Amino acid sequence: MDFTFPKEYQLLRRIIREFAQKELAPIARKIDEEEEVPRELIDKAAKLGLLGVPFPQKYGGMGAGEMGYCIVMEELNKVCGSLAAIIGAHIGIGAMAIHLDGSEELKEKYLTPLARGEMIGAFGLTEPGAGSDAASIRTRAERDGDDYILNGSKIYITNGKLCDVVSLLAVTDPSLGARGGVTAFVVEKAFPGFSVGTVEDKMGIRGSDTTELIFENCRVPKENVIGEVGLGFVTFMKTLDIGRLSLGAACLGASDLALEKSVQFSKIRQQFGAPIAHKQSIQFMIADMATEIEALRSLVYRTVWLVDTGQPFSREAAMCKLYGSEVLHRCVDRAVQIHGGMGYMRDYFIELMYRDARITEIFEGTSEIQRIVIASDIFRQVGVRISP
Amino acid sequence: MDFALDEELRMFQKMFRDFAQNEIAPLAETLDREERPPLETLKLAAEQGFLGAPFPEEYGGSEIGTIGYCMMLEELGKVCMSTAMIIEVHSGVAAMCIYLDGTEEQKQTYLEPLALGEKIGSFALTEPGAGSDAAAIQTTGVRDGDDYILNGNKIWIINGDIAETFVVFAKTEPEKGARGITAFIVEKGTPGFTVGRNEKTTGLHGIPVTTLFFDDCRVPAANILGGEEKLNQGFATAMKALDYGRLGVGAVCLGVAQGALEAGVQFACEREQFGGPIALKQAIQNFIADTATEIEALRYLVYHTAWLVDQGQKYTKEASMVKLFGSEVAHRAVNCMLQTHGGYGYIKDYPIERMYRDVRVSRIFEGTNEIQRFIIAADILREKGLKIKP
Amino acid sequence: MRIIVPIKQILDPSGMTVNRRAERIFINREEYIINPNDKNALEEALKLKDGQGAEVVAVTMGPERADDALREAMAMGADSAFLLTDEAFEKADISVAVTVLGKAIQKIGDYDLILAGCQAADTGAGQLGPRLAEYLGLPQITEVRELVAAGDDKVRARRNQGQGYAKVEASLPALLTIAQDANEPRYPTGAGIINAYRKWEVTVWGASDLGLEAEDLKPLTEEKRISFPPEREFGTKITGAPEETARELVQYLKAGRII
Repeated sequence: MDFTFPKEYQLLRRIIREFAQKELAPIARKIDEEEEVPRELIDKAAKLGLLGVPFPQKYGGMGAGEMGYCIVMEELNKVCGSLAAIIGAHIGIGAMAIHLDGSEELKEKYLTPLARGEMIGAFGLTEPGAGSDAASIRTRAERDGDDYILNGSKIYITNGKLCDVVSLLAVTDPSLGARGGVTAFVVEKAFPGFSVGTVEDKMGIRGSDTTELIFENCRVPKENVIGEVGLGFVTFMKTLDIGRLSLGAACLGASDLALEKSVQFSKIRQQFGAPIAHKQSIQFMIADMATEIEALRSLVYRTVWLVDTGQPFSREAAMCKLYGSEVLHRCVDRAVQIHGGMGYMRDYFIELMYRDARITEIFEGTSEIQRIVIASDIFRQVGVRISP
Repeated sequence: MDFALDEELRMFQKMFRDFAQNEIAPLAETLDREERPPLETLKLAAEQGFLGAPFPEEYGGSEIGTIGYCMMLEELGKVCMSTAMIIEVHSGVAAMCIYLDGTEEQKQTYLEPLALGEKIGSFALTEPGAGSDAAAIQTTGVRDGDDYILNGNKIWIINGDIAETFVVFAKTEPEKGARGITAFIVEKGTPGFTVGRNEKTTGLHGIPVTTLFFDDCRVPAANILGGEEKLNQGFATAMKALDYGRLGVGAVCLGVAQGALEAGVQFACEREQFGGPIALKQAIQNFIADTATEIEALRYLVYHTAWLVDQGQKYTKEASMVKLFGSEVAHRAVNCMLQTHGGYGYIKDYPIERMYRDVRVSRIFEGTNEIQRFIIAADILREKGLKIKP
Repeated sequence: MRIIVPIKQILDPSGMTVNRRAERIFINREEYIINPNDKNALEEALKLKDGQGAEVVAVTMGPERADDALREAMAMGADSAFLLTDEAFEKADISVAVTVLGKAIQKIGDYDLILAGCQAADTGAGQLGPRLAEYLGLPQITEVRELVAAGDDKVRARRNQGQGYAKVEASLPALLTIAQDANEPRYPTGAGIINAYRKWEVTVWGASDLGLEAEDLKPLTEEKRISFPPEREFGTKITGAPEETARELVQYLKAGRII
């Protein structure tokens, strides 16, 4: 067994950390207040290859695999939850769907500009009546000659406003339901009939937009089908499967920072004649945070190893997302507590981290869904089939 | 980065698993009921080299490396925490002291029989007035010619009743506190050394938890662990050995948690309520998923720490994390799986009942979890330039 | 145009803490980086490569781990890299480093420009550039703030001088040391980092490859002791209400002829 990161990944981590500290950290609060990540920053990130980390270099990506992607998400989420959310939706699910099941032509047409950051992507699954119950989506795609006509709406789509293309799931045959009746498409913002609706006002990750997408007789060419007609649900589930691992990595990064801020604060803040770091209550919270973070770290990177060596990873990826988001929640909660009143003030970064963290237990598959994924995998191995 | 088990480790794992299932598991309930140690299986385990797992062959060990050692403890912990802990304390703490700091002669004389399992080892530190505050021990060691006279008593000593080789900590210079503690190797039968009664405990009934009495017990100066130059340096030895011991406890807890999970999954598949197996109910699925997730996280924390040991890197903080996290995960796992068993979880026919009683002390012995938290926090703060005290 | 950039791998200073009282330096995080000022030199070379085309060669003398510094340089855009490593180099002082680097540069040959950092963040000596130029018999322009133009056998630069600057021209080949404020070094691209380790080669040369014998590698200096500079004298602390302290401060400044 070997727990060392290969050298290229050690260097990658250091460079991303420098980039994040220099370019991102100084404007993180501003991003939250102005609810926008400046385009120049996204472009700078794209120049480094941050918008296509896991994708092969032949498609304009960094060629850094799942390990590179998780390292990037870990380091970025430490500094700015909003940018991490944008990149997570863009790479982890938006472009990923095309990478996993798109034809060669589709990859050349869309994956390359996405990986280079020339286009921004999004993942269009959720609808008003279809959240955890993704199979009950209603957006319709009707065949019309060489095209499909899209009608319906999606909500809560990260990058909905920012994106140029969205990987979208629509019903092609209502009689077949999720098995055979649902197809994945790449839909360009530019296609007539595609409009952007409400941009939500959120608790956190306010620098990333969470938006309603509206399709009114939107014409999509048949070449834009991702994978096979009717098998879109399979594509989307595969995509979410791998997308969740990087979220675990992102939670790891933010938890690490919550710990660092807590340690720093506890050294400086004096009460009862000494830094609060001398009080057991504080020490114990720090110890608990550090312990959970270490456990999460090994869990995440071992799951990365499973992916990069072509082994099954669904259960473990769900564990990373479930555990990562819950560890993050506990860490930012303890961190706020350690900061006392200051943890509630917008002058302090931990306040922002607390708001940004909460969504991680909900988006990209709620914790409840993750538990179903894990439990059904465990029970499947002993012959019992369970469903949501 | 590589998480694959090589050929050798996979072989070990199978061997440990088979031995644990075939030899150790059938005896677990008996030990608990009869409140006695598993002498027969310890002998079998010794023959397989289990009692000297971490040590090099030149001292009678089986040299399987720390990752292999943790695997062994995990497999044992799955089926019988008592047996696992007896072996863990014997090899990972008591014998480990001698391996880490003993003279060459002491290693030949005392370590070898322990590694071969010919004798059982025990680690005697705790006293009525010195638990977490280990430096406050009051057993004294006073120089008399070429010997030291030991006076005092030790409580809650694991393996006390079945051990023949004891590492005993005494104050040779009481005014110096922790820097006045010396470690002595004391053999059973030494005049003045009596093994007292065993405690009646909630669980781990297979482990003798014994009081030891030292009444003018004469021990040659040659039995100072590490020789005369290690006089007054026993505390450092204890701390080093306890580091390794904590990792072992974490590995045992990993096994206990895994054993509980497997029992819970099986029960959930069989038990029917509301028209089907309770495995179909989300509440039960959630218990299973959460338990399995924490166990996975613990597993790689354990193996990462074991790897650090084998790489020769510092691992004090990580070992404390393993013990802290392991005991809490094991407790939650057993508790959750007991709940999954419903009423049956309270009946002695089901192993989960015993596991619940067995696991509770894991958050207390080998350094309470409060002490572990202190160690972790102290390490983190020290790196940032702040020194804290317990 | 061939540009050679000597770089140095140093311990990341941000991973160290200094305890003056104990006169000790603690290494909390052992991480190695390219000397930041050398990155300025590398950036200048890469700018020339981007602008008019050039071949950029990175060279370092160091232990085997210095390979990582060269990989980073390649990831930033250097076309090739040379690692000069040998047990015989371990006791090197600046004179030996110059000999080794000089020989290597001569062996690489056919260069137009050598761009180096002004000083290393660990020693702060600032000797490499000038000594290397002397060894190679090259004109040197130090503390370059702006490399104005290079080509047609000439290089023109603006260098920091006193409170202002000077415009200097030299014939090629020449050695320039680049000031810290000359540019903002680019980030290596992620793809560059991946490729630097997986696809590209670093050429390794030892003492024998450079034709260097033991006598050539004898250091001229020997490090006898490292100590901290003496504590600065405390100034005067002025406390009180703002009007009073302002008045007092003005008196001090007047007395010191600062105003």
